[in-house]
Amino acid sequence: MGLEAPLWRALAVFRLAALGYAFLLVLNKYRQFAHPAAGWLVLAGMGAWTLLVWVAYREPRRRGWQLLLADLVVTAGLLLVTGWIGTGDRWRGGAGTMSGAWIAAPVLAWAISGGRRRGTVAAIVIGGVDLVLHRDVTVNTIDSAVLLLLCGIVVGHVARLTVDAQARLQRAVELEASTRERERLARGMHDSVLQALALVQRRGAELGGEAAALGRLAGDQGAALRALVVGHPPQPDGVEDLGVRLDRFSTGQVAVAAPATPVPVSSSTAAEVTAAVGSALDNVSVHCGPGAHAWVLLEDEPAAVTVTVRDNGPGIAPGRLEEAAADGRLGVSQSIQGRIRDLGGTVTITSAPGAGTEVELRIPRRVPGRQA
Amino acid sequence: MTRVVVVDDHPMWREGVARDLTEAGYDVVAAVGEGTQAARVCAALRPDVVVLDLQLPDLSGVEVITRLVAGESKVRILVLSASGEHQDVLDAVKAGACGYLVKSARREEFLEAVQRTAEGDPVFTAGLAGLVLGEFRRLATTPATGTGGAAAPRLTERETEVLRLVAKGLSYREVAERLQLSHRTVQNHVQNTLGKLHLHNRVELVRYAIEQGLE
Repeated sequence: MGLEAPLWRALAVFRLAALGYAFLLVLNKYRQFAHPAAGWLVLAGMGAWTLLVWVAYREPRRRGWQLLLADLVVTAGLLLVTGWIGTGDRWRGGAGTMSGAWIAAPVLAWAISGGRRRGTVAAIVIGGVDLVLHRDVTVNTIDSAVLLLLCGIVVGHVARLTVDAQARLQRAVELEASTRERERLARGMHDSVLQALALVQRRGAELGGEAAALGRLAGDQGAALRALVVGHPPQPDGVEDLGVRLDRFSTGQVAVAAPATPVPVSSSTAAEVTAAVGSALDNVSVHCGPGAHAWVLLEDEPAAVTVTVRDNGPGIAPGRLEEAAADGRLGVSQSIQGRIRDLGGTVTITSAPGAGTEVELRIPRRVPGRQA
Repeated sequence: MTRVVVVDDHPMWREGVARDLTEAGYDVVAAVGEGTQAARVCAALRPDVVVLDLQLPDLSGVEVITRLVAGESKVRILVLSASGEHQDVLDAVKAGACGYLVKSARREEFLEAVQRTAEGDPVFTAGLAGLVLGEFRRLATTPATGTGGAAAPRLTERETEVLRLVAKGLSYREVAERLQLSHRTVQNHVQNTLGKLHLHNRVELVRYAIEQGLE
């Protein structure tokens, strides 16, 4: 049962009300009819047809062209007969026929079933018959034909809009359901894919040789997939979860530690901090060799967001940084410092030979407890 | 000999883990694939350690842990997770797990983790330390809901310091060196942080039950 059903119901109600109106018209004027008995007979015919199509239109699959055509022909026929009943003079000069508004029903039916075009066709047919009946063309007869035409077009337009709206609603509902189902399936699937990758990694490491390289590959892919699928609630526009951004750095060599809850910062801050952490990690792989491990820790405090990048490499000898700065070879650490300073934050580098290097980025939150 | 139960729905993984543990000298008393089965088996066999996968077909990881901890036995639970979904891991640890490891961990790391779990030493990876640190900060900044809410647990300065270093990837030994503490003291600090979290979780559960009119 779609949005179209109420329109058909409204049509049935309209037809019944119009029949009641026709009854009043006949009751009022039958004495002046040329054939009063026939007037009552035609009214009975209108009543019978009203009941018949009421039942017939209720069932969607019966609303085919046969019924619509029959509706139009019967109505037009009854309209013609009313002309005979009322003798020429009575209907001249724009007086209404005894069927009144009832003749608009098939126009509405056509419009509901097929939109503006069908509504227009039905309106022209009924309006044409009405004009023929009145023989002379007056403002009143033209008026009723135009009203009929308008009726057909407007209702047809509304009916089309309704059908479109319903189709869209249906699509949206289906899309939502399928998205939810896909997410549910994805959760289970990701877990089993990760499981399989972990298994390959584990067995590969045990077997050694080429299998170990494959195992490492599986491990890296697993870490990348994990970072991708770990669910976080979406953030409002212009705000990003820094945790999600930093999680993407995690590999077999890089471990990322962050709170379970989102760490919201402005998108620009997220981009700068991510770039700075990326530079720091690049630095680790350049200076500490491929075997080095790195850890990224994200901390969310009311006053500031702190990101620490630590490695277990050889560390930096005292004075090395100053020496490099004097030589103008401090590209990476300068780019990190530049980015963080622009955010109003500070960078602290601590290192000792043999104890690795620790780069701490501290970005104050402008309003305590709000996004940085 | 340490008695271990392995709970994982993936048969190959379950067998691999069980084999590794047996080779390392553990007594794997059962290896099961479902949460309800795990709860039943553990109640009957009373293992020392349960190696638990968080993703099981019938029960959520937290539910399994709650059932295992509810039993009187002093079972220690090491959680393994393939996805490492932050909230899942944190919830598992709050429910009473003693440690957590991603499944991609190396074999030696895994065996060391089981050994430490058996000794009652919480297995804190850097990732887990970061989660716990974040949780304490969250609890400190969120006002307690409802009346009579348990005061948010707080870490001492030392505990925060230790946890931060662990979250940056330092081993207990390295933390001990850096802070000039004994290895044992570092272990105790880490254990205390977990204890506070478990306690708070239990208090919260009881409070919730009372609020909901449950006995």
